[in-house]
Amino acid sequence: MTSFALAWRTATCYRARSALATAGVAIIGALLFDMLLLSRGLVDSFADLLNTSGFDVRVVAHEGLPVLRGPIHGGGRLAADLRLLPEVEDVTLVRIEDAVIPGPADDLKNVTVIGTTEQGPRSAWTLLQGADLPRSGTTPDRCPLIVTRHLADVRGLDPGATLNIRIAVPGTASALPQIACRVVGIADFAFATANEYAVATTMSALEAADTTRGPDEADLVLVRSRSSAGGSAAARAIVRVRPDLHAYSNEEVVSQFNQNGFAYFRQVSVVLSSVTLVFAFLLVGTLLTVATNQRLGEIAALRALGISRFRIAAMLLWESALLVGAGGLLALPLGGVLAWRLDRLLRQMPGLPERLHFFVFNSSAIVEHMVLLAATAIVAACYPIWLAARLPIAETLRREVIG
Amino acid sequence: MTHAVVEAQGVSRVFPMPAGAVTALRNVSLHVDRGDYVAITGPSGCGKSTLLHLIGCVDSPSSGSISFENRDVATLRESERSRIRLTRIGFVFQRFFLLPMLTAAENIELPQAEAGVPATERRQRTRELLEYVDLADRAGHLPSQLSGGEMQRVAIARALANRPALLVADEPTGELDDTTGNHVADLFDRVHADGTAILVVTHNSALAARASRRLAMKSGSLMP
Repeated sequence: MTSFALAWRTATCYRARSALATAGVAIIGALLFDMLLLSRGLVDSFADLLNTSGFDVRVVAHEGLPVLRGPIHGGGRLAADLRLLPEVEDVTLVRIEDAVIPGPADDLKNVTVIGTTEQGPRSAWTLLQGADLPRSGTTPDRCPLIVTRHLADVRGLDPGATLNIRIAVPGTASALPQIACRVVGIADFAFATANEYAVATTMSALEAADTTRGPDEADLVLVRSRSSAGGSAAARAIVRVRPDLHAYSNEEVVSQFNQNGFAYFRQVSVVLSSVTLVFAFLLVGTLLTVATNQRLGEIAALRALGISRFRIAAMLLWESALLVGAGGLLALPLGGVLAWRLDRLLRQMPGLPERLHFFVFNSSAIVEHMVLLAATAIVAACYPIWLAARLPIAETLRREVIG
Repeated sequence: MTHAVVEAQGVSRVFPMPAGAVTALRNVSLHVDRGDYVAITGPSGCGKSTLLHLIGCVDSPSSGSISFENRDVATLRESERSRIRLTRIGFVFQRFFLLPMLTAAENIELPQAEAGVPATERRQRTRELLEYVDLADRAGHLPSQLSGGEMQRVAIARALANRPALLVADEPTGELDDTTGNHVADLFDRVHADGTAILVVTHNSALAARASRRLAMKSGSLMP
């Protein structure tokens, strides 16, 4: 009979203890699994969000937060120059403005207007209804619009509807005239928050609507690198051509956020993961120690019969592994459900893109989860093993008889 | 070279205690020869079990020497002693100490598995032993499904599993009524008749009376 078989039979013999330990490890393991998902989930989700735009390099005028970034002048010329680079496949200029949408009974809606040049596929939004923005010179529309589903629902907009927009000038009451735009499509915007009103239009339409800013200005230049070059090489090439600008590959953006913006979540998850591991260790260690103490006579008898220390140690180790293993396996679906609920809760925080997730499933989290629990099982079994291995046989047998 | 399975020479055992050392055995000498059946009797606390533990290689004397089949036990490593206990000594305890999660047959198989006996041979030997202790029909029963007498018979079968040279039994009838105790004593007679040396420590005078040699202990010494 192997040590594993002995451990298995012990676990099934003492069902209440095994069930208690398994349930405890399952709950603790679920928390650990969630912390592991959280430690990387936001970063993975953010990277996924960046990559869905179809562009892997971002060019800005200054470092720092987007709201503090200055405009990039001569966008058209810049785009033409960048397209000549062998590392670059496509370039899109993006300009972002705040605007208001007048409604019935002075119901003004603040809205974010995204202007984009027409080149390349637009994957920053997923079209739900209608058509995408037309390419330059292919439409008589002065201001074609893609609107978010949320705005379409609130204003009852369908493709073909007219929507008046007036660009807001920061710090002053807007004196700009409102322009009549035509809704061409309804879409989910990747970077939009759940309740944000956002619209996208062509760069030329936005320039026409906002006469306060210079022509050919952009806030952001999105670049798609050639697959043979990659984002980092394209970013370096762009900076060589335009050293006055800052170019970041998606990996660099994610890395910066990982070190700065998401450090808080990582630290929280590390602390909570450590705490859950300590709880798992204490739970399994205590149960095994109590169980071993209850079975000292049995263990002393086994030793007296010539069963080796190694066999008894292996049996206790397997017992620990079985309890933690069963709990750890149960922890995965339990943690998955918990992560899904927590993710829904956390995503209700204001200002977060709707498609950003805190908990993202990844196989490496399962591997880490298993490795950490396996290590916990080993550590938790150490004391009971030591107790059993150094057991004075004769003294224990005597004590058992007297007891 | 002697014919003794085990020989104790001038053995003493002192237990250090916080309130002062307690001498459990004083200068005891004893030999158990092949085919011997020795019973040790005496009042509680006189050192019977301590002597049995020393003979059974689960404890070490404070002074004196013990040789098992002409090997000085003091010179052996724990793993070697463990091997002797596994293959040359069979232990029977007052409280049986069967593993509660294993059936009667599995309890008997366990020491054989530890000794590396192949599975088919193991199962055959286990069947023989269960028949030997008249429990062939209880092979698949857990200890909790057996009576005290049946558990002790399984424990005796387990002790005999690896064909030991010496069977040591510590109050084997201590937890049994007289009738059941007599059945166990009958079994010991059979084991002895089959050539296994037995050293039994007991309060049971009926059991002791069946031994070929009876020794009395008092205050840690064997009485002349």
